[in-house]
Amino acid sequence: MKFRSRNLIAALLAVGLAGTAAACGGSDSGGDADAATQARGAITVWLSNNKEEVAWGKQMVAAWNSAHPDQKVTAQEIPTGKSSEEVIGAAITAGNAPCLIFNTSPASVSQFQKQGGLVALDSFSDGKQYVEDRTGKTAEQYKSTDGKYYQLPWKDNPVMIFYNKKAFAKAGIDTAKPPLATYDEFLATSRKLVAAKAAKAAIYPAPSNEFYQSWFDFYPLFAAETGGKQLVEDGKSQFASDEGTKVANFWRTMYAEKLAPQEKYTGDAFVDGTAAMAVVGPWAIATYKGKVEWGAVPVPTSAGKPASETFTFSDAKNVAMYSACKNRGTAWDVLKFATSKEQDGMLLEGTGQMPLRNDVAGTYPEYFAKNPDYKSFADQAARTVEVPNVANSIEIWQTFRDAYSKSVIFGQQDPGAALDGAAQKVDQLAAQS
Amino acid sequence: MSSRLATAPSPTGSARPAGRRGLLGTVLGKQPIGSAFVAPYLVFLAAIFAYPLAFAVYMSFHDYFFTAPGAIVDRPFVGFDNYVTVLSDPAVRRSFLNVGIFLVINVPLTVILSLVLAYGLNSAIRWRTFFRVSYYVPYVAASVAVVGVWLFLFNENGLVNTVLGPLAPSPSWLVNSKLAMPTIAIYVTWKQLGFFILLYLAALQNVSKDLYEAASMDGAGRIKSFWNVTVPGVRPATTLVVLLATVTGANLFTEPYLLTGGGGPNGASASPVLVMYQKGIEQGNPDIGSAIGVLLVIGVLLLALIERRFVSKEDR
Amino acid sequence: MKIPWRFITLLLGAFVFLFPFYYMLIGSLQAEPDPTVRGAFPEPGNLTGENYVEIDKAISLGQSLLNSGIFTGGVILGTMVFGVLAGYALARLQFRGRGVVFSLMLLVQVVPFQLLTIPLYVMIVRSYGLADSYLGMIAPFAINSVAVFIFRQYFLQLPQELFDAARIDGASELNTLWRIAIPLVRPALLTGVLVTFIGPWNEFLWPFLITKQQDLQPLAVSLSNYLTTVSARAANPFGAVLAGACVLAAPAVALFIAFQRQFISSSLESGVKG
Repeated sequence: MKFRSRNLIAALLAVGLAGTAAACGGSDSGGDADAATQARGAITVWLSNNKEEVAWGKQMVAAWNSAHPDQKVTAQEIPTGKSSEEVIGAAITAGNAPCLIFNTSPASVSQFQKQGGLVALDSFSDGKQYVEDRTGKTAEQYKSTDGKYYQLPWKDNPVMIFYNKKAFAKAGIDTAKPPLATYDEFLATSRKLVAAKAAKAAIYPAPSNEFYQSWFDFYPLFAAETGGKQLVEDGKSQFASDEGTKVANFWRTMYAEKLAPQEKYTGDAFVDGTAAMAVVGPWAIATYKGKVEWGAVPVPTSAGKPASETFTFSDAKNVAMYSACKNRGTAWDVLKFATSKEQDGMLLEGTGQMPLRNDVAGTYPEYFAKNPDYKSFADQAARTVEVPNVANSIEIWQTFRDAYSKSVIFGQQDPGAALDGAAQKVDQLAAQS
Repeated sequence: MSSRLATAPSPTGSARPAGRRGLLGTVLGKQPIGSAFVAPYLVFLAAIFAYPLAFAVYMSFHDYFFTAPGAIVDRPFVGFDNYVTVLSDPAVRRSFLNVGIFLVINVPLTVILSLVLAYGLNSAIRWRTFFRVSYYVPYVAASVAVVGVWLFLFNENGLVNTVLGPLAPSPSWLVNSKLAMPTIAIYVTWKQLGFFILLYLAALQNVSKDLYEAASMDGAGRIKSFWNVTVPGVRPATTLVVLLATVTGANLFTEPYLLTGGGGPNGASASPVLVMYQKGIEQGNPDIGSAIGVLLVIGVLLLALIERRFVSKEDR
Repeated sequence: MKIPWRFITLLLGAFVFLFPFYYMLIGSLQAEPDPTVRGAFPEPGNLTGENYVEIDKAISLGQSLLNSGIFTGGVILGTMVFGVLAGYALARLQFRGRGVVFSLMLLVQVVPFQLLTIPLYVMIVRSYGLADSYLGMIAPFAINSVAVFIFRQYFLQLPQELFDAARIDGASELNTLWRIAIPLVRPALLTGVLVTFIGPWNEFLWPFLITKQQDLQPLAVSLSNYLTTVSARAANPFGAVLAGACVLAAPAVALFIAFQRQFISSSLESGVKG
């Protein structure tokens, strides 16, 4: 009973034939772009599916629809989690992406742009002007390498160090002004917390290997330490520097002394008291309500920079227009409507996330008077660093994460050497376009 | 199951010469209606499987990325460049090694446990129904659902370590680069065992009772007759179990994706399919991803051929 | 025999197999997660149905279950009709190209689905226009190749004389299949149903890619969406995850238990071959 390799070959051949057909698959043409920017009619938008954002999105859509019954907007939800990039990527390829996605990660923009999936907002006569007027200087970070805006900087979540006041009190640490400004202070405080059994872990950044996890451990501290540098600038990696090594060594100490655990946690370690601190943005405040008495301070730097000079990671989510959109005129109007001063105010009110516009604190003074907790975030929002908008962005982050995980989290390599190695690969990746 | 199990189609009616229908018979086969019977399946395979697979092979030889309809881009033929990239990537090589470790643990464990348990179940024993149901339940339940419990059981402060006390490994199971893959292998064995028990149970029905009687007449004990009668009696099923366990194991994805958060620690639990997913879909290099996939398929085919020869050698 | 080894082994095995499920249930009912040994036992003070109430609030369970049912039912139907035909032909009929079909069937099982996902998605959505439809959801799974393989194996075991006799009587192949072969392979059909069932029931990526309309999404999709967003904020996140897991697993396990009697007795007592 021999396996019939002849049949296997025939089967493979059949597959090969289908392949020839596949390669010859036709492509339909894109249509006239200029006409499309004027076209109006019904459109679809996707919203992130967390509760507060859905509520905001629904009222925004309802407000638009009641004023424009002839240009109906339909909203659908997609999850914020791991698979959203994949879903958007597939939809671009299939040509059934919606007009606007209110959940576009800046890290994916270069890839979507390369796929031909995005509409440059500059193609609208007032596009560039609108983006820059609304967001101000920070908008610069969201420009693509060709100088155009393929995303509207929408809202950010400048990350800070949250701390649990009860745990701090238990360890005998000042809860109003905890010593967390320098690395030495931060380490000393962490040791105290764990020694006093105030919490199992001093802090619990996700130690797993997903490309985006570095945004919540290394990157904010790197942004602060360097005074606002991105991971990659002008096509060159920036992290294999003195500052980068300092940050890496700081985290290495946290892991080596078991102040930060190496195993991923299900649930929110900060909420349930497993960790006394967290690196997170203001979106999380809603989830802490009634569970944790928290305070927030800027991320630490080696020398302990004052809060007013400390940069951090922005954790922004943006809105992009997708090229499958037929009625781009309507989509552009909806985009402007959804990011108007009024709607941005609603977003702030409903979600606690910071609209990416000039001087948030000054624009919505009543909100910050009512919610003083959020004030420091609005202040921090002025000094944020975005992920670099470069080619192969996600691959770059994965490369970085692999090196970081190996050296910093698991200590199997010297952090400095690991960063050097990753820098070489990242430089190559960034150079491709 | 009969001895024809898991073999290439053996001409069931081949004892009789194909003479009657003459030329037409030789061209179309003796029962051309068979073509009609398989036609829907064939159309399904062609539409759903062959086309995308061929597309993947095509991508692996080109500098390819997915674009929106209408976008005009250059996708030059690059020969084996993608394969060279893949093979020189330590992460990819590591993932193939990992899946090798996985198979070395998972396949024998699956075969032994499922055969022993099926043998135990295949008799008039109290609570038989209860036992059967309990063995099948993990197979029926979704991995997404079950992974949550395993995380809870096997994390550093989980129940398993609590029970083990000082014997608990450090670092804990899923963050220990030596234990992560074996833990996953055991998890998958546990999860899939019900299905393989089912296959063995069916096969055991066909082991003739006379053989057992003959063995006990010769004075063979329980263990000896298991070894001398049962094991050879279900050899065809063993071939099937080995092949299916290998194939599903080689396509391991969900477990490292969910259980170890993307193949940690340090890629010690990354599987080729996971790396393919990361590179092909997350990072937007479907050409590289496809090359990994094609290599994996070739590897599994070779492995399956070798296993078949090895496991069923006495069968021929 | 003095010691019932067999029974003890099976009991031990059953414990290992069932314990995680038991633990899942207990965990889903806890108000506070408890990783100690005591947490493995129900504790009246720590029991709550809250985790389930939250799921019920967030998801329309009825609609999701219905969608899961349609999706899974469609796949089972396709496999049962076309898969049995193919399995029978591959086992019992001689025709041109049989070897090729057989090899293709084996090849399908070797190829990881992730390799095909995007080309398949593009094809089904762009070429066939099946986005946001049950058909698009079902299509890639419509005929389960493992089931076809199992059918073939069982049909192969049937004695040739049965078929020779039927052919001499002039029965058509379809007739032979329906009246003679199928009744003899009932356990195979049930195994096929089981194997086919779990795939679509538990699948979440594909149906999610295909449909963004919530009223079309099956349970696995709604639940995983729920888990990614809601669980972190629930009172007991771990309980929420486990409750979600229970909700997803329960219908599958219930169906299995409901059918297992038939399923098992037929696999034992069918008259396939003494």
